[in-house]
Amino acid sequence: MTEVPPGREDSDDVDDLYRRASDLDASRPSDSTRRRILNHAAQLAEQRAARNDAARFGRRRGANQPWWRPAIFGTLAAAALAGLLVTPRFFAPGTPPTATVSPAQSSRPSPASAPPPTAQATRQSPEAAADAQPNSPSPAKAQGNLEPQAFARNAAPSAEPAAEPAAKNAPPMALSGARARSGLVASDRAEDAKRMQAASGAQSAAPPAPAPALAPAPALARAGRAPETSDPAAALRRAAETGDIQQLQTLLDQQPVIDARDADGRTALMLATLHGRGQAVDVLLAHGADPNAADGQGATPLQAAAAGHQQAIVEALQRAGAR
Amino acid sequence: MTVDAESDETLIARYGRGDAAAFDLLYRRHEMRIWRYLQRNVGNRATADELMQEVWFAVARDAGRYAPAARFTTWLFTIAHNRMIDSFRTNRRQTSLETLGYEAESVVQQLTADPEAGPLAAAVAREQAAVLMGALEQLPDEQREAFLLQVEGDLSVEEIAAITKSSFETTKSRLRYARSKLRELLKECV
Repeated sequence: MTEVPPGREDSDDVDDLYRRASDLDASRPSDSTRRRILNHAAQLAEQRAARNDAARFGRRRGANQPWWRPAIFGTLAAAALAGLLVTPRFFAPGTPPTATVSPAQSSRPSPASAPPPTAQATRQSPEAAADAQPNSPSPAKAQGNLEPQAFARNAAPSAEPAAEPAAKNAPPMALSGARARSGLVASDRAEDAKRMQAASGAQSAAPPAPAPALAPAPALARAGRAPETSDPAAALRRAAETGDIQQLQTLLDQQPVIDARDADGRTALMLATLHGRGQAVDVLLAHGADPNAADGQGATPLQAAAAGHQQAIVEALQRAGAR
Repeated sequence: MTVDAESDETLIARYGRGDAAAFDLLYRRHEMRIWRYLQRNVGNRATADELMQEVWFAVARDAGRYAPAARFTTWLFTIAHNRMIDSFRTNRRQTSLETLGYEAESVVQQLTADPEAGPLAAAVAREQAAVLMGALEQLPDEQREAFLLQVEGDLSVEEIAAITKSSFETTKSRLRYARSKLRELLKECV
């Protein structure tokens, strides 16, 4: 405010004289007037400060109030949504399909060309196999008797590269008579579904498939293991499963226990049947394998062959006296 | 208009937010200018005291409404002018040559009361002040106010014209006549 205002007339000697006289003028407002002015101004300032504080406090309250509301309601809404999405899975009658497993994971490579699949891949295989089979059996059918689709939809785990057409639909190691037995199938399906949901962490939002008649079993993982070369019976089963006729003949010449069972009660004949190894079935039957040796779940080779539409094996078994 | 840290505009804004110290600074900065403007226009100390209080009360009350579109001094002297006009309307100018002479004498007495002023300087000041006050009293009211607004308020012709609600040329003529008259009256003292 020290600049000379525009339009200001040039000060002259009169202004200088006036200012000199004014500088010497000790006249000033009375002390009482000065006090009243300053006191009044201080009073107003105090009121303004109080109003400003109140306004700031009001703004803070106004600003603080709304923030927790969207946070709480948002959290509640998210929890409700999660509940709606997750809860039905725990009451689903079947296993949800898992689209994340690739066919390569579901098919086991040839034992001659690649190492046995890992346990994880083997465990995933039945899921992928289930996905690949649209014709899932109805629970009622699965409970009533052995349904051919029930065997076919579990064929993937032992898929050998087109050695035989049946290999594509070969039933898995997990095929067990208990799955076919009525009364236990439904409960098994529910348990398997829950177990798989827990394992997959509910990755897929797709609706659960109709209850698979044959869910994966630990036997699948065991079936993918390396041949148990130390046990001739296990080697025999392995050869029967893979259709290795030369190895099968060699082992049979050593006169092992031809009907020795694996942990799931399956004989070499059963494994050969499950994997559609018709030639191996013939060889085993020729060496006296029991055509009626049921597995641990009560399923017979004939039932497995019929379920897998392995007509040649069915006939061979029937010729051998299978019931 | 730039507003520096300690400008009048900054101080009045601070006071508008409740800073009493800002008002103190403003008051001390402009107290004497307003006082002289009022006292030398109304010619009466008591009336000037009353007006002084009214003016600064108005400043304190309206500080929150002050917008720095104009200089603070322009706003301040506008308030002072309006209060003075109101006072004139209600109480006719109370000064007369006699009272002015008394007031002028009072001013001279205060001047000579300066302990550091020597006897000769005090005598000169007494004479100059007496002549100055007498000369101001002889000016027409409009000329006197225009002159005081310029020398005390450091206002431009345009600002004075706006405050007094006069045209630029009229204000300029008032200022010119006022200075000419004062120069003539004070010639002997200059």
